[in-house]
Amino acid sequence: MLVLVSVTLITFDERSGTHHITSGLKSVAHDVFSPLTSGVNDILRPIGDFFAGSVNYGSLQSENQQLQATIGRLRLQLNQTGALRQQVRELDSLEHLPYLGSLPLVTAQMTQFDLSNFDADITLDKGRSSGVLVGMPVVGAGGLVGQVVEASHGTATVQLITDSRSSVGVSFGPNNQTYATATGQGPGNPLSVQYIPAQTHLHKGEFMYTNGLADGEFPPNIPVGRVHSFRATVGSGAMTVTMTPVADLDQLAYVDVVQWEPKL
Amino acid sequence: MGAKALTGKEAPRALLVLLVVLVLQLTVVLDIRIGGAHPDLILGLAIAAGLAGGTERGAIVGFLSGLAFDLFLTTPFGLSALVGTGVGVATGQLVAAGVDRTNGLFVPGVAALGSAIGVIMFAVLGAVLGQPDTLTVGLGAAVGVVTVVNGILGFFLVRACNWAFGQERSGSAWQGPLVAGDRH
Repeated sequence: MLVLVSVTLITFDERSGTHHITSGLKSVAHDVFSPLTSGVNDILRPIGDFFAGSVNYGSLQSENQQLQATIGRLRLQLNQTGALRQQVRELDSLEHLPYLGSLPLVTAQMTQFDLSNFDADITLDKGRSSGVLVGMPVVGAGGLVGQVVEASHGTATVQLITDSRSSVGVSFGPNNQTYATATGQGPGNPLSVQYIPAQTHLHKGEFMYTNGLADGEFPPNIPVGRVHSFRATVGSGAMTVTMTPVADLDQLAYVDVVQWEPKL
Repeated sequence: MGAKALTGKEAPRALLVLLVVLVLQLTVVLDIRIGGAHPDLILGLAIAAGLAGGTERGAIVGFLSGLAFDLFLTTPFGLSALVGTGVGVATGQLVAAGVDRTNGLFVPGVAALGSAIGVIMFAVLGAVLGQPDTLTVGLGAAVGVVTVVNGILGFFLVRACNWAFGQERSGSAWQGPLVAGDRH
């Protein structure tokens, strides 16, 4: 009987017509449990952090110094690229292209990550009440992080670009004129980039950006990842390419939700 | 056959245990990462309920705990409930079949084996429902971590279920808790 109920629920969830019922239930559960889990974390995390910090004090100090040095370098780069960014923004506005810098952002804190061992997702402390809606892109740590897949009143769930159900249209090469699709291969794994012709010129470390296609699911020109490996597949006429995300998805603390709704 | 549904007195206690385990799963357990995988107390609770309460109680607790966990996952709604029901029934059947439960390794052994089966079942069903990578990416780590942790914590989860089912005085879980249907 319970097996039958479970199978029925799975079927309901998979059908778009009844999916809103299950997503509504999930939304209520998130809103009810969010203060509870937040309270427990507030109590228990400092205790865990205290023990972890006392054991790893030396490495934390060294890591802190390295981070300070990185911040200094980034500040320098930011100042140097300020003029270029202004030019790009003006060109984009002339072409009527959306530019990430011109879109409103909602800064949110990550509260949970990878709730299941088979999903690559994070939970944010901002939801519909803050203007976070399903479908909105999420950026952070220098690149694309993922997309909001569920939003309750006060929380949101983001599917990371490494999730096996995630698919992002990317562009690269001279003038970003070569298009491909990057799909996730599970938590901690590089993305697989498909539909790249075998004769395409690529180099390791090359940046790939959102292309703004696929019904405008993501605004264009957000850095997604860098080429990790590539090789021509014999007989297929296409290349097998993997890409590592620009954003360090294992070290996310705060992210920005881009208030951009796909043009469906 | 140790088959008996939850009574009105047992239900609030069982729900309290479920709630505590769910909050632990959503907080401290998520911070424990080994090889990218974290433990799964929800699965451990379904197995413990089957061991402590028999087939029907194992199924009910497994279903409800899985369903509650499903509310927080992006995997198909009902998938954890299906897996929880399956392992709850299977462990309940094992107890009902009269397997020797006096061995001290019985509870950890069944908790570990049931966890391995549960994780693989989840991955296979996930692949069938559109997540093919569940069978390859991280499956080994997930099976390893969930098996070891539930093997270690199985004793405590069975004790919690014994309390929920009002069996805390029926003997140590190490000697094999009596399921409701065994007591005549």
